[in-house]
Amino acid sequence: MEGIPMLLLTLALWGYVTGSLAGLVCWRREKLANLFSFGSAALAALCGIGASVVCLAGSATSFEIRWEFLESAVPYLKFSVRLDPLSAFFLLIVSSLGLALSIYSFGYARSFYGRKRVAVLGAFYNGLLLATTLTFVADNIWLFLIAWEIMALTAYCLVSFEHEQPETRDAGVLYFIMSHIDAGCIILGFLLLFQMSGDYGFDSLHGLGAKMSPGKRDAAFILFLLGFGIKAGIVPLHIWLPAAHPVAPSNVSAFMSGVLIKTGIYGLTRVCFDFLGTPPLWWGVTLLAIGMISAVLGVLYALMEHDLKRLLAYHSIENIGIILMGLGAALMFLHTAHPVLAALALIAGLYHTINHATFKGLLFLGAGAVLHATHTRNMEEMGGLIKRMPQTAFFFLVGAVAISALPPLNGFVSEWLTYQALLQGFGTTESLVRLVFPLSGAMLALTGALAAACFVKAFGISFLAQPRSEHAGKAKEASPSMLFGMALLAGACLLLGLFPTHFIRLMDPLTHQLTGQQLSARLSLADGLVLASLARDTGTVSTLGMVILSACLLPVPFALWLVFGRNSKTRRGPTWDCGQRALTPQMEYTATGFSKPIRMIFKALFRPRREVQREYDFSPYFATTLRFESHVEEVFERRIYRPARILIIRASRRIRAIQMGSIHAYLLYIFVTLLLLLLFAI
Amino acid sequence: MNPPTSETGSQFITLLASLMLVLQVLLAVQPMLITNIRIFALQSLLLAAIAGVVGSAYHAGHVYVVAALTLVGKVLFLPWWLERLVRQIKIEQEIRPFVNMPASMLICGALTVLAYVVARPITSLERLGSNTVAVAIALLLTGFFLMINRRKAITQVLALLTMENGVMLAAIALTTYGMPLVVEIGIFFDVVIAVMVLGILVFRIRETFASMDVSKLNELKW
Repeated sequence: MEGIPMLLLTLALWGYVTGSLAGLVCWRREKLANLFSFGSAALAALCGIGASVVCLAGSATSFEIRWEFLESAVPYLKFSVRLDPLSAFFLLIVSSLGLALSIYSFGYARSFYGRKRVAVLGAFYNGLLLATTLTFVADNIWLFLIAWEIMALTAYCLVSFEHEQPETRDAGVLYFIMSHIDAGCIILGFLLLFQMSGDYGFDSLHGLGAKMSPGKRDAAFILFLLGFGIKAGIVPLHIWLPAAHPVAPSNVSAFMSGVLIKTGIYGLTRVCFDFLGTPPLWWGVTLLAIGMISAVLGVLYALMEHDLKRLLAYHSIENIGIILMGLGAALMFLHTAHPVLAALALIAGLYHTINHATFKGLLFLGAGAVLHATHTRNMEEMGGLIKRMPQTAFFFLVGAVAISALPPLNGFVSEWLTYQALLQGFGTTESLVRLVFPLSGAMLALTGALAAACFVKAFGISFLAQPRSEHAGKAKEASPSMLFGMALLAGACLLLGLFPTHFIRLMDPLTHQLTGQQLSARLSLADGLVLASLARDTGTVSTLGMVILSACLLPVPFALWLVFGRNSKTRRGPTWDCGQRALTPQMEYTATGFSKPIRMIFKALFRPRREVQREYDFSPYFATTLRFESHVEEVFERRIYRPARILIIRASRRIRAIQMGSIHAYLLYIFVTLLLLLLFAI
Repeated sequence: MNPPTSETGSQFITLLASLMLVLQVLLAVQPMLITNIRIFALQSLLLAAIAGVVGSAYHAGHVYVVAALTLVGKVLFLPWWLERLVRQIKIEQEIRPFVNMPASMLICGALTVLAYVVARPITSLERLGSNTVAVAIALLLTGFFLMINRRKAITQVLALLTMENGVMLAAIALTTYGMPLVVEIGIFFDVVIAVMVLGILVFRIRETFASMDVSKLNELKW
């Protein structure tokens, strides 16, 4: 059994390498480059899915396979990879999203023909998939950090792919800076761990926290939280996310949002549950609090966006928050020695991780198709697309339903599990800390409601009513491969929603590895058709049941019509237009208008500003032009990042004094440092 | 593998190494540029000889290759190339360092003492040529000092080359077989390329600033 996943994963890794090079070989033949690089990525992703599924489905308890996939001539650096349940689970996420994205990319990359080098896109795309896969399966610190860095760099190159736009360059630079701060934090954290273990292998780090002094352990936790938190996009370290996601090509944004930010979740899970031992209480509370803040603020800022992709990016922050709520609760349960509940919370968090990867991937692909067709990201210029792109609209709607946590799709299942974990947490401790559980439950509810409102807006404004611009009016349906990519993800959303108990069985090895518990049997009733929570009285749910029930109820209104309404007359007439001559797009509800009530309710946070300028010739009642502007304050940008930036620039000016421009001075610096180090060594 | 503790070989290596150090101090006080280059050539010749002795003591073929490379590259080619450079750009022959000659000599002495102190844990090992490590570190430190003390780019290149001699000396004398041949060749070509690049840079600096004094580079700072 060990051989198959090894072989498949090795194939996957080399497949990405091949894809990266193959595209570059046919540099000028765009079609070939497209076919080779994305084709090979799709095949490699398929191998990756195979490897992880064989691992997860094949064994009931924990397993661990480790081998070196490449000989290394450098001491300390070993290219050794591991497949344990946690790695295999994240490998499943990256590979399944990678498959759908690669198929989508065949069609999507065509929009770059003659304009940009498809080969470059393909090469970096494969590189990013390779690096992300390696991050998830790396078995030692060096390989992990190298993969992490390659991931950051390839992602940077992809974000700045359309570097002709100044906006893109700015976003790229911001992402570059943030990803290097996070790499720095992670390197420091690993150094702390290495100090204790004296070895670079992940094996030697297992359960290391028990041997560390509390101060160092906390320091390591904070460093990892900062580092992985930036990558995951937690508030207030999120600012790169809404900048970088929208400007990247849409297949890349889908990958970044679906998988790249999950590397932060993977890192936190690996470090907190595997390396650092039994956590102090405040770690869990911190994660839970960060989760709450990220979820609520993420969705609130999403509501204020008119840029379809930025809106989705803010929703990524929200979903990372929901995932962190699960993880934080799990850490708290581990502290209070409730491993079963910890396993439940962990399942909730990680289930939401894969769910978010599928539905957010789907939504970004939908947004990409819309962008491809209308050449704008501004929702106020879309509208009426459901008539012109019916299939894209359908898939986008599936994603929107899933992300709004409506049954029977997958978002509902994982959020339901999160509620269960949070609500049952209230009884686990007597201290006041338990109040955090109902509070976070309430916040999760608020988040869910706001998310639903946000996607009513996103779908309604973009797809319904009449086209608001010429571009939107001329939109064409996306190409078959793009639709197929979206269909794959929509199917995944549906399956993950309808058969949660079967999927949770795949997570058994994972919870066994991290908490020593296996819950799949206890979470499923009636042969896996019904999802139960642990306690008998707290509730059960069956998404499949809901679907069957509503299918059964479908004939009822029809029957009622047959009985009562058959004789009533059907009238057809124009839409009421208030006496105007015709309805025009200008009369439509706008995104700004739709979100106004929310903007008013959360006025303290948004501090909305608006300017109205009217010009008139003779009477103020007959304005010739009217200009209206409304802004929402970016709190974190203004209150945290701008002062920090000013401070850094000021400090740098001071430090620049030692940059004298004289080579001799520089040599002297080096020399004196060398001498001091030598003296220190004596 | 146990190194043969050949007494004469060890003494011979120590002698050659100390001569290298003497030449290094001579470099610090010798004001004429062409003479400096020739001193460097002589120093490299001593290095090649050490490599030859080590090679014969250990019967290690690839150390002979290092010796040959040093002979061709640092004794013949680089000095010739540097002298040609000096003639081509017709710079004045006298080097005017920041620190005057007697003070330089004292500093070199102090750095050598420091080198011996630093190298003590290694020199106490009973091995062929292990006491040359102190010399190697001394070469490195004094070379560094020379580099800081010189104004002209070309003299700094020379100082860098003597530092590299120190590194080579440590590599040959300390490790049993010398380093793997690949590493040695790598270092060697690094040096050659560095000198080439620096040579071109010297031209550029002179073109731009009408002087070879690198102190003038601070005009580049904004």
